Amino acid sequence: MEKVDLLVVGGGAAGMSAALAAAGAGPVSVLLVDREERLGGILPQCIHQGFGLGYFHRDLTGPEYAARIVAQMEGAAVSVRLNTTVLSLSQRRTAELSGPGGYEPVAFRRLILATGCREKTIGSLPVTGTRPAGVFTAGEAQRMINLRHWRPGRKVLVLGSGDLGLIMARRFVLEGCQVLGVVEQKGSCGGMVRNYRSCLLEHRIPLMTRTTVTRLHGEGRLTGVTLRHLDSGKEEQVACDTLVTALGLIPERELLAGLGGKLPGWASLCGNCDYVHEIVDTVTAQAEELGRQVGMELLGKK
Amino acid sequence: MERYDVAVLGGGLLGCFMARELRRHPLKVALVEAREDVCTGISRANTAIVYTGCDTKPGTLKTRLCVAACKGFGDLCRELGVPFARRGSLMVSYGPNADQTLQRKMIQGMENGVEGLKLMSGRAALEWEPGLAPGVSSALYAPDTGVTDPWELCYAAWENALANGVTPWLNAPVTDLLPEHGGWRVVTLRGELWAAAVVNCCGLHADQVQELAAPPTVRITPEKADYLILDQGAGHYVNHVIFHEPEEKGKGLTMVPTLDGKLLLGPSEQPGVGPLSATTEAGLDRLRQLAAQVAPELDLELTIRSFAGVRPKPYNVVRAQSIHDFTVTNPARGLWSLIGIKTPGLTCAQALGAWLAPQVADQLGKGELDSTFRPERKAPVRPRELTREARAALAARDPAYGRILCRCGGITEGEVRDAIRRGAVTLDGVKRRTGAGLGRCQGAFCGDRIMALMARMLGVPPEDLQKDGPGSRLLTGGRHGEG
Repeated sequence: MEKVDLLVVGGGAAGMSAALAAAGAGPVSVLLVDREERLGGILPQCIHQGFGLGYFHRDLTGPEYAARIVAQMEGAAVSVRLNTTVLSLSQRRTAELSGPGGYEPVAFRRLILATGCREKTIGSLPVTGTRPAGVFTAGEAQRMINLRHWRPGRKVLVLGSGDLGLIMARRFVLEGCQVLGVVEQKGSCGGMVRNYRSCLLEHRIPLMTRTTVTRLHGEGRLTGVTLRHLDSGKEEQVACDTLVTALGLIPERELLAGLGGKLPGWASLCGNCDYVHEIVDTVTAQAEELGRQVGMELLGKK
Repeated sequence: MERYDVAVLGGGLLGCFMARELRRHPLKVALVEAREDVCTGISRANTAIVYTGCDTKPGTLKTRLCVAACKGFGDLCRELGVPFARRGSLMVSYGPNADQTLQRKMIQGMENGVEGLKLMSGRAALEWEPGLAPGVSSALYAPDTGVTDPWELCYAAWENALANGVTPWLNAPVTDLLPEHGGWRVVTLRGELWAAAVVNCCGLHADQVQELAAPPTVRITPEKADYLILDQGAGHYVNHVIFHEPEEKGKGLTMVPTLDGKLLLGPSEQPGVGPLSATTEAGLDRLRQLAAQVAPELDLELTIRSFAGVRPKPYNVVRAQSIHDFTVTNPARGLWSLIGIKTPGLTCAQALGAWLAPQVADQLGKGELDSTFRPERKAPVRPRELTREARAALAARDPAYGRILCRCGGITEGEVRDAIRRGAVTLDGVKRRTGAGLGRCQGAFCGDRIMALMARMLGVPPEDLQKDGPGSRLLTGGRHGEG
């Protein structure tokens, strides 16, 4: 069985920075695996600006931010395995990897989980009606538009005013689509003020607070949704062919299930799978700190 | 015009098994389906339960087929490579009225020939199922109740039918049935075929299809029901299939620990208003209320999806009365209709085919068995079910079986490729064949990856891909470079 000192799961900002810092601490073997075909995690699909002000002191796009860290990976003493998924972890400090290289176990001394988040989906809400095509999570729509150059729809409603919802509302406008508005259950915008301004106000996209979606219509493709105004209780039907859901992020810790849901002493969480960060700069900073500590620990210099 | 011995109309569970069972005889069989794929109608949404046969009246066709089918279900699933588990079921009551119902069903079940039934005390039931609300007054245990994968079962029957020479007529909605040369001219939107006999298995539309050629005998009312699915983990909340027998009139809660570790709640019966695939607030609220009542510790926050299923409720228009047995009509020579086959239709799909096929074959003078018929179908490769060594060897042979496309279900690119090769042409067709997109992320991670793969393999632009049949395009914003 292949043996490494440190296994890092996830090649986004957190995983890369942690792996780099650990490898920088001295002669430790570090293996980083990611299920995507490239490094960067979620960053390559975030083509808008606003990244790096805190860490690189520059206003960068997601791909630019990722590229700066990827550049450091080249030449660093970190082995990288892409297109590779960690299927499970065991108490004996082994991981089962599945990728194009096959299906293989890896033994490790320390583990850093940098698995990011997944998005809450509409299935978790009490939304009734049909289950048509045209309902996408914000991240899914973002990947379709920015990475695949697909156009999911034309007449769009966004449910949820977190940052991802705001950014995607603007993204659809920039794609030439009609964005009917961003629907928010709470009384105010959920995202950062700067995103509210640059995404909604500047593009005259209405924010509908104290409102939610209660029903989907359309048997093949989405034809509309029923909105409920929470204060008045009134409902109205709105025609649209696309509903983008930005319902929040859930730290992705599914791998811990195999360990009884507990975090063992030899494992650490890092980045958004630890807690959801507002900006990536703090992810990088936290990951570097953790990576350094783990590296020192592995070298016995604690 | 292509000529067949038998044209089976409808590619749901009934039609696919009908076609397969007909091929045990030396018959040339066509399966005519309106949609682009099989398993797109009412077979698509149900509880996945294989019933023992203690719920139905003694002496009926339904009971006879159900009891035998349940006993043989393990063999059938082994033969066709379909997952199946005898979870056993507990029917639980919370009061004297329901206690009586349980006793009645116990006696009825024994009379029907169901084995192993046991009436238990409420306390004993709670020991087996500590997640149930306290106060269970009695329980009826049926060890043979099973859970299967209804989609896989339908695809298995279909693939086995094709392997035995059944000719597929997909995308062929039937518009007319005309008597001709002692048989039937079947007119479809894809062209015409002639068959000496026609077996109508058109589910919700079986009455309309029969009435193309014969006077009405049975009419169907769609009966809608809502279901909730809770994420992996919730499946451990109960150890058996639970049928809650309510004390008052109305439907209780059914809880099904599915084969992939999820928990299915439902059905909650609703009048058939609105689109048939639409869930209702009243239906879902009722399920949540019942769940809170019967399974108080169950975390409904684990809900990942709700869906609506439809069953065809038959009504005899000649005698003006509702029908409780399976209805198989023979309204004209060489024409049979299976109308209003609902619960336990999944359990009995193969049995109905095996029961009717010899009758059809006999009438065509071809009742003998065809020695070339092969009943086995090889299950698709599912790496997550293999041993480590076998899995490693498989991935080494074909790297696509190493690449995970659906993280929630641990489903590989190899399985998705295989599903497309086996006939999936829509995203939901891939989902039903592989399970990709059924997990907690509901396809948010794998959806576009599968679409890209489908577009490549099917040789179509992604903009042409449908979610679930005509009118359900996934990308409607036009292509890049266009307006």
